[in-house]
Amino acid sequence: MNKTFIPSQANICEIIHENEQIATFRLELINKSIPFAFLPGQFLMLSIPHCGEAAISISSSPTALPLIDLSIRKAGKLTNAIHTMKAGNQVGIRGPFGKPFPTETFANRDLLFVAGGIGLAPLKSVIDYSLFHSSVEKDAVQSMTLLYGSRTPLDIAFQSTVNNWQKQGVDCRLTVDKTETDWQGNVGLVTDLLPDYKLTDNTTALVCGPPVMIKFVIAQLSAMGCSDEAIFTTLERHMKCGMGTCGHCHLDGKMVCVDGPVFSLSQLKTMDVMEFSQ
Amino acid sequence: MIDLKEMILSKDNLIPLLRKLKKDARLIAPVQNKYGDTLFREIDDIDGTEIDLHNQPQASLKPFFLPQQETLADYTITNGEYSFTPPAKAEDTIFFGVRSCDLTALLYMDLIFSKPSKDPTYYDRRNHSLIITLGCNQPFPNCFCEATGSGPYLEYGYGLQFIDLGDRYFVSAGRGKGADLLKKWAYFFREVNEEDQQKRYQLFLEARGQFTRNIQVAHACRKLEKETVPEEIWEKLSRRCYDCGGCAYVCPTCTCFSIDDMILDAKHGLRIRTWDACTSSGFTRMAGGHNPTDRSRHALKRRFLHKLKYDFERHGKASCTGCGRCIDICFGGVDITTFIDLLTTQTQKKP
Repeated sequence: MNKTFIPSQANICEIIHENEQIATFRLELINKSIPFAFLPGQFLMLSIPHCGEAAISISSSPTALPLIDLSIRKAGKLTNAIHTMKAGNQVGIRGPFGKPFPTETFANRDLLFVAGGIGLAPLKSVIDYSLFHSSVEKDAVQSMTLLYGSRTPLDIAFQSTVNNWQKQGVDCRLTVDKTETDWQGNVGLVTDLLPDYKLTDNTTALVCGPPVMIKFVIAQLSAMGCSDEAIFTTLERHMKCGMGTCGHCHLDGKMVCVDGPVFSLSQLKTMDVMEFSQ
Repeated sequence: MIDLKEMILSKDNLIPLLRKLKKDARLIAPVQNKYGDTLFREIDDIDGTEIDLHNQPQASLKPFFLPQQETLADYTITNGEYSFTPPAKAEDTIFFGVRSCDLTALLYMDLIFSKPSKDPTYYDRRNHSLIITLGCNQPFPNCFCEATGSGPYLEYGYGLQFIDLGDRYFVSAGRGKGADLLKKWAYFFREVNEEDQQKRYQLFLEARGQFTRNIQVAHACRKLEKETVPEEIWEKLSRRCYDCGGCAYVCPTCTCFSIDDMILDAKHGLRIRTWDACTSSGFTRMAGGHNPTDRSRHALKRRFLHKLKYDFERHGKASCTGCGRCIDICFGGVDITTFIDLLTTQTQKKP
């Protein structure tokens, strides 16, 4: 665990091209004696030479350690810089930080994952983690369903991962907002896939994507009868320290980096969250 | 009684005492510069420098513990290797002439920088420091420390607390280093007598009676516990906030910071921590441009609620120390006292 300001060196072992904008960087700590453990939903502070730091969710499962995956979309200076790096280059990491998804409560539950774009990254960690546990424990989870929305067919990331999940029994349903190619699948927003999902009292929903998507998915899940305690999402904020000190991610008395980034809808309802207020 | 020891120091003995102290540590005290500004600075020549104990220092102790810019690490990039080195250690430092509000602010910063673990550079400086405060017999025009429970005199937290009794100082020692210091240099001091005690108490009562500002801090905190602030108040304040960050920079308890890299050359750089202000427009903006804060309406919401609501909830005390510095710095006239006034006078109108 690195909860200081001095990053630990990590090696980029492999780079997996997910789409034009997104790649997964597979990291391994250089100093193997540094203890490192995390749970799905936690994030790292990633240092890139001359670019400073950014908060990035871990997209692999803790069961894949010592390898740590960070799936990164080109969004700003730092994220563009890492896309120019090569296997064998080094980055710095601090963490893990934040509260994870409550995986300890997932036994015998029907898990519904709703993701948009790069929002699949933190959920991917949960899916891989739950699949691993299903393979060794009988009651790990009851069922897993993924509803995954992308802008266009070319924007679909993690395609081979999704194919693997499908083979392992995860019900994966994909949709694209619009298409100009010969895409045979669903066209429409991810919310259009929700009515076909058989929601029960046993469902736990995990939602991650752009703020506007989260807002509408949560509203629809509530309307379908999903309780506030069974809906979880993860918030994205500008962060500098990861330890609740720098103030950037302050949200109505809470620090997203320490008290989140994973929140249940019942927690969000007690807070003044701008994304969901209008 | 928290004070371990109380003694009297004749004013004639002040400089000789400081001269002794300076042999073992850096000495920082308020000095008026040629422009008339009183600021804390290192005293190299104790006999050739006049320590200014009459004016309020324009900056608090914050820059000495959380510098406006500091190096958290050096980094090197060689042949694909990317490594970090922590900075050098702090030196022993004695601060003299610190006001009660500024020590209270430092005690608050101790709290902030102790979670989840002790901030390395902050606590390195803090552990190498000894604070000698000067109780305020005459509050300055913008002061309201009485309303925030951080003055004019203090009960704890100091290394030594000096109270000016005219020709002598009434000195109280805190635990640890302060008490040790008093013991070590006992020959500069004499015992406290009944008259000294009475004079100190008399001056304390007089000081409390001289505050000119009546800021309803406690009332505001209790109101924020129960009620939401009307949107009109936030909008009114936001219209007059010019995004200068002055309030956050002079505030002794504003500790928000940013961390960025400063490139030295192709292979070297510094990881720098700098002051930041939650009132600035880029504070919450993310890569790609999404900003979860609407500055046009809520420019000051975070700052005031943090000090008066969240910290009151968490620590039982607002994190405003009543030093009054933000009142002079804000050219929009929307400092914390404006907010408190708007909030509390509105209650009185409502039935």
